[in-house]
Amino acid sequence: MKILVPFKSVPDPYAGAGAAAKSVINPFDEIAIEEALRIRERGEATEIVGVTIGAPAVDEQIRSALAMGVDRAIRIDDSRALDPYAISRILRTLVEREAPQVVLMGKQAVDDDSNQVGQMLAGLLGWPQATFVSKIEFLDNKTRAQCSRETDGGIEVIAISLPAIITTDLRLNEPRYVSLPGLMKARKKPIEVINCEQLGVNVHPLTTTLSVASPPRRTAGTRLESVEELVTRLKQEAKVL
Amino acid sequence: MDFAWSDQQRELLDAVDRFASEQLRYDMIENDRNAVFNHDAWKKCGGFGIQGLPVSEEYGGLAQDPITTVAALERLGYGCKDNGLNFSINAHMWTAIIPLVYNGSEAQKKKYLPGLCDGSLIGGNAMSEPNSGSDAFSLATTAVRKGAKYILNGSKIFVTNGPIADVLLVFASTDKAKGAAGISAFLVEKGSPGLDLSHKIEKMGVRTSPMGEVFFEDCEVPEENRLGKEGAGSWMFTRSMTWERGCILAASVGTMQRLLETCIRYANERKQNGQSIGKFQQVATKIVDMKMRVESSRHMLYHCAWAAGRRKAVYLEAAMAKLQISESWVRCCEDAIQIHGGYGYMTEYEIERELRDAIGSKLYSGTSEVQRNIIASMLGL
Repeated sequence: MKILVPFKSVPDPYAGAGAAAKSVINPFDEIAIEEALRIRERGEATEIVGVTIGAPAVDEQIRSALAMGVDRAIRIDDSRALDPYAISRILRTLVEREAPQVVLMGKQAVDDDSNQVGQMLAGLLGWPQATFVSKIEFLDNKTRAQCSRETDGGIEVIAISLPAIITTDLRLNEPRYVSLPGLMKARKKPIEVINCEQLGVNVHPLTTTLSVASPPRRTAGTRLESVEELVTRLKQEAKVL
Repeated sequence: MDFAWSDQQRELLDAVDRFASEQLRYDMIENDRNAVFNHDAWKKCGGFGIQGLPVSEEYGGLAQDPITTVAALERLGYGCKDNGLNFSINAHMWTAIIPLVYNGSEAQKKKYLPGLCDGSLIGGNAMSEPNSGSDAFSLATTAVRKGAKYILNGSKIFVTNGPIADVLLVFASTDKAKGAAGISAFLVEKGSPGLDLSHKIEKMGVRTSPMGEVFFEDCEVPEENRLGKEGAGSWMFTRSMTWERGCILAASVGTMQRLLETCIRYANERKQNGQSIGKFQQVATKIVDMKMRVESSRHMLYHCAWAAGRRKAVYLEAAMAKLQISESWVRCCEDAIQIHGGYGYMTEYEIERELRDAIGSKLYSGTSEVQRNIIASMLGL
């Protein structure tokens, strides 16, 4: 069984405020990589292919994925700000070329929180999908997968036939850290660089981001002398009473 | 000397930074108080690749040159506050792994190195005895050949990793009449008949690194566990001691860097008499001196490792690096306490522990006095 893991490079969500934002693999995608590795370690997968879209700067995250244990990687060389539909169309072409049985990816990227690519990719391919997954088991000689989905109402267990798209939730696993032997091995693993034209897909973003702004800063509070004063000001200034 | 890291070195060092800060942060106050060795962290370090840094790939290592190795250990000391764990790892690498790399037979290397690299085995070195410390070659432990075995009798003291060791490199005399030239080295495995590792020694600092006394009472060691030739022990010890001196304090340079940053932060935050204490010259000067000590220590460490990587003799450089780093480390810790005032003296602030951890560095791997003797002799005095 071949697993394709698309992953995105995002600013480190755990970097402290004001620290230079280093890029990392989107944490949900890292969980997808980890799950693919565990599936391979269980003997259920034979090859894990990682794919990401971006400029050469994302090679650092590609090497991290290879160092974790991904077998080979593909970088779609495109530095445009692509929207989820464009990304889904690129991935569809790649899925058709690579023919994996499972596409395993994060449920969303933590930078834009779109939560669309997995679903759109399933739609474009006409494949079944299991989203927000916190447990995966393969059934019937790996022709189907039983997935637990984290929903607001509780854990929903579904079975889907393969090939399929599975998107990962936070509680699926805890990703391993990159070891030095993994890092050394990664240097010998191939990274294929290909652009949209070579892949035969012509995409344009349908969405344009107009601006991104931080939430307004909270102004300092005021210390009041008494409960009476608080009540008065809540009535007269804040007008909430 | 090239001061720029290659992309590959940078990538490796960044990975160590991340590993140490993410995987090796745990409550050190309790562990220090109860003298707890963190076995789990040891195994993590092995799995991550720390112990195998200088070992060739065929024996499970990463084949890194000395300068990359010491720089990686420096990052470990920066990210991991467990100076005891760092000390245990360094003792294991420089006094067990390196002698085995240089002197081991193919069979010995195949048998022990992969486990010593991946964290499944813990190594140590037993040289000092109750009556032979700096005068190491006057040791009294004997090894007498009996058929295909050696029978060891005697005792060793201050054995780092002794109580937890799976394999110890033990120096013993096979021919008393020959003095230093009669000393041989043996790989003694835990569980060998007549070997007693159970005596743990309480100590002031690096309390999370177990240290013990080791007793040999008709301890049987198979002939194939002799490391190198009979009588080669003192030469082997001198050679590995040079590595040990040059590299064992690599992590301490990272520790000093962390202390420096802690002090800068505190000096900027803490206000007295209406200003940050860092604005007071007496505080600023201490921090400047800390910076000077960290940088000079790092340069001497790197220079020694760089020269060793070019197969130059580093007998003098290693002694100088050891002396500089150990004395700087102790001074940095004293200054860090002084800068933090009463808080620095309190356990909760985790600086007094650093001083207790640092002081031993002026004693192990040759005291500061021994290092000065070496430097003096190399200067023709």
